[in-house]
Amino acid sequence: MTIRICKRKNLSVLLLFSFIILFSLSSCYSVRIVNKDGTPEPDPLNNSGNFYKGKKVHVIDTTISLKLHEGDFYLIEKCPSGGFYSVEYRVTFGGVLLSAITFGKKRKVKIKYVCLKEQ
Amino acid sequence: MATTTKHAIGNWDTFHNNGPFPTKVLYKTSLEGKGNMPSLIDRYNDAATEIQRLLKDALDKQEGFRAYGSAWSMNHVAHQKDNMHFNAEMNIKKAILDDEMHTASTFKRENLFFVQCGNVIKEIHKFVFDHGKSLKATGASNGQTIAGCISTGVHGSALGVGAVQDWVVGLNLIIGPNPEDIVYLERHTEPALNEVFAGRIKARVIRNDGLFNAALVGLGSFGFIHGAVIETEDRFLLKRYVKKINKDLAVELSRTLDFANSGFTVPGETDVNGKGNTAFHYKVFINPYVNDPEYVVEAIYKKPYVAEYPDPLPRIKTAIYRDLIILFTKIAEKYKNSIPKLIKVLEKSVLPAVDLEATGTLAEIFWDAPYQGPAYAIAVGVDHTNSGKALELLTRLAKDEGPIPGIYAMRFVKQSRATLAFTQFPITCMLEIDGLIWKAKKNKIISMEQFCKRTIEVLQANNIPFTIHWGKTADWSFPGLVQYMYGDKATTWKEYRSALLGEKGAKLFSNKFLEDTGLNEFIVNTSPELVQSIA
Repeated sequence: MTIRICKRKNLSVLLLFSFIILFSLSSCYSVRIVNKDGTPEPDPLNNSGNFYKGKKVHVIDTTISLKLHEGDFYLIEKCPSGGFYSVEYRVTFGGVLLSAITFGKKRKVKIKYVCLKEQ
Repeated sequence: MATTTKHAIGNWDTFHNNGPFPTKVLYKTSLEGKGNMPSLIDRYNDAATEIQRLLKDALDKQEGFRAYGSAWSMNHVAHQKDNMHFNAEMNIKKAILDDEMHTASTFKRENLFFVQCGNVIKEIHKFVFDHGKSLKATGASNGQTIAGCISTGVHGSALGVGAVQDWVVGLNLIIGPNPEDIVYLERHTEPALNEVFAGRIKARVIRNDGLFNAALVGLGSFGFIHGAVIETEDRFLLKRYVKKINKDLAVELSRTLDFANSGFTVPGETDVNGKGNTAFHYKVFINPYVNDPEYVVEAIYKKPYVAEYPDPLPRIKTAIYRDLIILFTKIAEKYKNSIPKLIKVLEKSVLPAVDLEATGTLAEIFWDAPYQGPAYAIAVGVDHTNSGKALELLTRLAKDEGPIPGIYAMRFVKQSRATLAFTQFPITCMLEIDGLIWKAKKNKIISMEQFCKRTIEVLQANNIPFTIHWGKTADWSFPGLVQYMYGDKATTWKEYRSALLGEKGAKLFSNKFLEDTGLNEFIVNTSPELVQSIA
């Protein structure tokens, strides 16, 4: 009997864990905006086998803390060329959860961007 | 001062992973900031000084030196084991001034632009568009640098224009570390710019058709291409149609390119007598493993420019999972009989949608390449009158000795005057096989190397004169290949190269690709006239 309960507990934990993983995975996605006429800033050392191959990538991975009276924020980034080629924003389950439980006062930010090539 | 960073990279690879190739050093040169050096010409000359410093360093060490840009060539043509130079940050561009035009020039000043080596096609598109102009033709995409395009003969399917090097009218080369090693080349029969321009870039001028034509498709071995003068034309639009037509009709049109008398016509693209207009671009797609009675063809027609037209690019662009492509390759390597089925599955992602119609500028129609992963491409050039026969032979090769994971296509390019242009026939049919790099394993699938070798053997055995795209996958060590393809032209190219660079310079700008093809041969005692201006 004890063993059966233990198995049920294990099964329940496993199911819950699987559900959380599945939910987390499906809750992670990226949105990428690309500049139609822009040329990306090159990086010959970037050998990633994806969209960013050969491009100079800047990453912002941080958590922004807002005070009680603050409702909005913006990040100030600098591109030598003065423009962005692409911006990718990643939404994660953890980020959404963090924002929810802190009533929007902590915002997880994951952004990748590529500047325009200098002209 | 232009600044160069040095990276001990160990290995270098192409954009589509056709390497890796052992490499000691990668240099990356960035231009001086505009705020510190506002004059374009000053920054250009400053970069030239920096390149000459690097060349001297390589010469002192008795090493080689090779520039590259986007690394889109799918073989080792851009590679050099000692010193590689990434030049894509050298991207000055300027319009030509009145006082820079040669008095005998037949070019319109407003059509000419001077662009530095590292400009990629996409940024040149934008620059000339902002001056009310358009490039004449490009490759199927826009990521190559201008120097890379010229050096390897990048082409699209512009029947009446040619490849990228065919709209280049002047070349600025740096061939060594000394002041006289900065040269500006033009055709003597078609002068474009004068000594005022040459003086501004501190170059000595050589106007000589033979030298210019040899240096154009120079394989990165004719010195460091620092800049090029390009000819553009007024802005225009292209209207693109994708149709599925009877394959005999598609092949017959490839053979004749006689649009007026072909059974293939596009409504709205006919003359008053109902005869088909000649397309700006014609391309045929072929899946060699299906017996479909129809081929997908792409026909593009040139139109006057108007400001208002629907955006030809979709608002949302999706891409196939990279892991799925890798999985397909693994399956193909293990179970070769799966290849035809896998190609059929991928066909919709690879081929353009049938009955598609879109209008846009050259830059929009041939926009960014979507695929960034490992890939190979085999491309042979044959006279378009031989296109049907060559297609039959090479599809049969894939069926009999393959299969291989790739899809076939034919594009058609006007003849080039460049000595080593693979577009050397009156109209060259570029017969291409594009696909995913595979490795032959124990299931007896033919290896890529063997397939490339057999391609050459089959064309030779059937007496079809051919060339091979310099930037694509091939058995470049095949005995006598270059001599077979180009005959005396190969010798002419080597003579001009030897005369211009001298023995030390020829060695400096050589690499294994040149050695494999035999084009590294230095010819002694060439006539000084080869590198002199012709009045």
